[in-house]
Amino acid sequence: MNDGATGPLASAGRTRFGRLEAHLPSVLLAAVGAALPLIGDSYLGVIATRAAIYWVLVSGLNLVVGFAGQIAIGWVALLTLGAYATSVLSAGTVLPEVSPFLALLAAGLLGAIFGVIIGLPALRLRTFYFAMTTLGFATIVTQVALAWKSVTGGGVGVPGPVFAWPFASPWGFYYFCLGLAVIATWMTTNIAASRFGRSLVAIRDAEVAAEAVGIHKPSLLVTVFLFSGAVAAIAGGLFASLQSYITPDAFTFDLSVLFFIAILIGGRGSILGPLLGTIILTALPEFAAPLVAWSTFLYAVLLLVIVLAVPGGIADLLDYKNRRPLQRHREIRPQPALLAHIMPHSEQANLLRLEHLTLSFGGVRAIDGVELEIKAGEVHGLIGPNGSGKTTTLNVICGYYPPQHGLVRLNDKVLGPAAPHTRARHRIARTFQTPRLVGAASVLENVMIGGTTAGRASFVEALLSLPRQHRDEQQARAAAMAALAAVGLDQLALVRADRLQHSELRFVEIARALMSRPLFLLLDEPAAGLTVDEIKRLGALIVTISRQGTGVLLVEHHADMIFDICDRVTVLNLGKVLASGTPAEIRGHREVINAYLGA
Amino acid sequence: MPTSAPEPLLEIRGLAAGYDKIGVLHGIDLTVGSAEIVALLGPNGAGKTTLLRAISGLMPKSGHVNFAGRDLSRASPRDMVRAGLVHVVEGHRVFTQQTVFDNLLLAGYGMAHRARDRQVEEALAFFPEIAAKRNDRAVTLSGGQQQMLAVAQGLVRQPRLLLLDEPSAGLSPVLVDRVLAAVARLKDAGTAVLLVEQLIEKALAIADRVYALVRGTIVLEAPGNAPDLPRRLEEAYFGQHSQR
Amino acid sequence: MLLSIVSYGLALGAVYALIGITYNVMFAASRVFSFTAGTVGMLGGVIGALLINRLGLPVALGFLLTLGAGAGLGIITEMVTVRPVLKSLDQHLYVLSTLAFALMLQQLTAIEWSTEPQPFPRLLPLGPGIFDQQFWLPMLACGVTIAGLEWLYRHTLVGRAFLAIAEDNYAARALGLPEQGLRIASYALAGMIGTLAGFSSGEMMLAYFGNGPLLNFYGFVPVALGGMGSNRGAVAGGLALGLFQQTANFLVGGIFASVAIFVVFIIVLLVRPEGFAGAAPARRV
Repeated sequence: MNDGATGPLASAGRTRFGRLEAHLPSVLLAAVGAALPLIGDSYLGVIATRAAIYWVLVSGLNLVVGFAGQIAIGWVALLTLGAYATSVLSAGTVLPEVSPFLALLAAGLLGAIFGVIIGLPALRLRTFYFAMTTLGFATIVTQVALAWKSVTGGGVGVPGPVFAWPFASPWGFYYFCLGLAVIATWMTTNIAASRFGRSLVAIRDAEVAAEAVGIHKPSLLVTVFLFSGAVAAIAGGLFASLQSYITPDAFTFDLSVLFFIAILIGGRGSILGPLLGTIILTALPEFAAPLVAWSTFLYAVLLLVIVLAVPGGIADLLDYKNRRPLQRHREIRPQPALLAHIMPHSEQANLLRLEHLTLSFGGVRAIDGVELEIKAGEVHGLIGPNGSGKTTTLNVICGYYPPQHGLVRLNDKVLGPAAPHTRARHRIARTFQTPRLVGAASVLENVMIGGTTAGRASFVEALLSLPRQHRDEQQARAAAMAALAAVGLDQLALVRADRLQHSELRFVEIARALMSRPLFLLLDEPAAGLTVDEIKRLGALIVTISRQGTGVLLVEHHADMIFDICDRVTVLNLGKVLASGTPAEIRGHREVINAYLGA
Repeated sequence: MPTSAPEPLLEIRGLAAGYDKIGVLHGIDLTVGSAEIVALLGPNGAGKTTLLRAISGLMPKSGHVNFAGRDLSRASPRDMVRAGLVHVVEGHRVFTQQTVFDNLLLAGYGMAHRARDRQVEEALAFFPEIAAKRNDRAVTLSGGQQQMLAVAQGLVRQPRLLLLDEPSAGLSPVLVDRVLAAVARLKDAGTAVLLVEQLIEKALAIADRVYALVRGTIVLEAPGNAPDLPRRLEEAYFGQHSQR
Repeated sequence: MLLSIVSYGLALGAVYALIGITYNVMFAASRVFSFTAGTVGMLGGVIGALLINRLGLPVALGFLLTLGAGAGLGIITEMVTVRPVLKSLDQHLYVLSTLAFALMLQQLTAIEWSTEPQPFPRLLPLGPGIFDQQFWLPMLACGVTIAGLEWLYRHTLVGRAFLAIAEDNYAARALGLPEQGLRIASYALAGMIGTLAGFSSGEMMLAYFGNGPLLNFYGFVPVALGGMGSNRGAVAGGLALGLFQQTANFLVGGIFASVAIFVVFIIVLLVRPEGFAGAAPARRV
């Protein structure tokens, strides 16, 4: 599976011990939680029950806020919804009475639906707008609860559900909530460690790159909103039971603030951090009575401090591994020979054809009738002065811009315009002018993001950590390690990507692109910012990739690199093809030289 | 350096700059003398625009910038403008929703009223074509006229050094000549110019001295009238091996 | 009846419009939407009531001090919550930092002032009536603000510099415009407009900490629908919103009016995220 050269690192991703170590804090917390009744302090029990309930909600919201980076601040709306749904259904005042457990389940379903409704604007709206709509939703739900007296009892309220034996006693109910909290932790941890978790973080930090590797943001976000809405509403049902009587007053906006800030204090993209954050924020005011009135004020201060001073939150403070210094003078030594392990040699005569592509931006023809053929097994250079349309051409191929005229054809298939997430399925991969990586994720995880389309397990399988999910992970991990070894970065696999040097990031992007075993690889100025030696090695790597049967389109300013490694070169000027031919032909082409020299 | 004045107006030593982690410029040394036109040439992606931005304080940098005898290594664009170094940025970025006249007034923001009004008129005198449209909003100007307006904005403060980033971009040949002729006249008025230009022949025609920037380093410095300059530039751009 | 719906609706609409302008003035200077817009509006009422009712200051002095406090809050907003995160605008940290600051102000008001609505003083010695001052004062404030801004933008160089920064921050900096100073001034101005909204509507909306979130939302609706940065859009949208809300309030009840506004807001934004007057989004890659 892995080459001998990568030996010690082959399984470095997650050893059995590493896995245990990663889960140790959560397991310890659960053990402490389970042992809590031994203290026998019933007040402590109420606080712990509340913390467990809040965490059920926060764990789901964490996927939305901490992982996907959507600023959803009005999530208390779903708590309210779940609380009323469970209470009303189990009281039987409107519909026939049902068991509280069934009512809780129904509330979960309702929450899932409303989670999507609240979340829907996130698919289209800018950050602040989305924050505002969630805020508006929270206000509306409370107002409806007040006004819809026949169902919610208005300002008088309704009694909360009472769960039957063995959960009727306070400690019994505590164990019920703790159990659900443990399940929520387990599930979200599973998601975090799956391709879905990596995709969410990619949407947050590198949305454009996420689309290029085949992540479809709308469907992924809808799935997460379903889950998050469901657990939030279930938390609402538990909350109603704990309160024993609910009125709209119980669901203040302060609660929303608590949930939201617990995640940010905990750290985005972490499970343990927000878990600790929830416990701290729930418990703190209880143990410092004078603080109760000031608690929301203090949360707000904390939020400001976190945003300005510790953007990584608690999780960053706990991440001691990434504070170990890295070796200073590192060299990237690609091993092109290892490429055969991830992309077997292919003799297929694939062809990527651009037919008369034209695209204007506000009256300026960015590209104007561009014709281009990229053949399998060739390195095709695309050069031209600034603003000649090189990157625009690349973006049209990748589906970011729909062309006004013309087609992009892969073999005989026409590639749909304006659908960048479909390119990965056609095995067209790319890199970006400025590397677009997830700085907070490890190098290995970043590369694994490139293998998103290879994953077979569904969201539910990932949630429950079923066998197919394990197979997916193993394969993705092995492939990513092999790709990293090929580009010469396997030693840095477990390092956070934002600690790498610029040149290393460029090679990480190539490794990510290789994960889809691309038929065509589009490189946008891969040599920018590299040293002369690194450019030489990059050139050798690119040539080897093409000889495996991949067609490479190389946009580059480094003329000597273009002339060294390309099989064909096309020159763009003012959006039009100025010349096309072998490097020698282009090098001697008077018009090309003039275009460059500006004569 | 035979062609530069003994005490250079602008002296840059060991300048380095970049975006995020990408180093774009490495150890740049460069001088501009009083009333000297210096052309900064180089293939695209070499870092010419970045160099102008670094000099004028529009982006952070390391290294030394000495201007008119003062150390301005950490100066903001505003400090630079006040010291007499004005940067006309790439892409004729004028304020399209305001009139030509207001665009020029803004260029003299903070100056004494009378001096400002006088110098706005003087700047307009360089470009009769836009002077005729002084009360039109800039959005109604053609690309070439907008470029003239951008250069005129640069003149309002009567700077000692003007940084011009591709004033010819997007202009017809006739307009290019007009803009560059205005640049040449500036020299007579005592203003030095550091000019980034893609049109090498046009740039060489007015430049006293040229630098070539390739991949973030200065690879060539020569008088503007050196006979073998085009060949040397071609080599610098494309590498030594002319055929493969 | 109709007259009271119209006058109350327009008065409310004028307040929303003023908050919308508060958003716009901050946005133009920094490309940042700040959650403090509605909060300073709320504080306009609270600080006015504090100075005039509790401390017994004359109305005129109380008014000036309230505006001064608004300017001060604006400046603090800029320094504490906006400037530190401007460099990484694409990470949207300003949403969090301004939210945090707005919450702090709101909580502080709840704790140190009151969680109950408190009366606001009568500003002018005129009797009540259909043309009651509590209705026309907000409209007057809105009119004066719009006229003042138009004068500023059209007839002063400082105003043009504001516009220049809003249109092309980079070019403005290259020209040597004092970008930071102008940004601080914009935030001070926004703070004053915000407190003016709260002060002029104090008698109608009372000095109540809970007005903050409401003004935040209803002030943002006209901005989002009218296209950000457009003050005329904010005024037209604000007045329409106020009238609609009052009419619906009268016809079908307040809750459904709120629900209707919310639904319309979301649907319009989903169909046209850039608002009615806004431009299509810029290039992404």
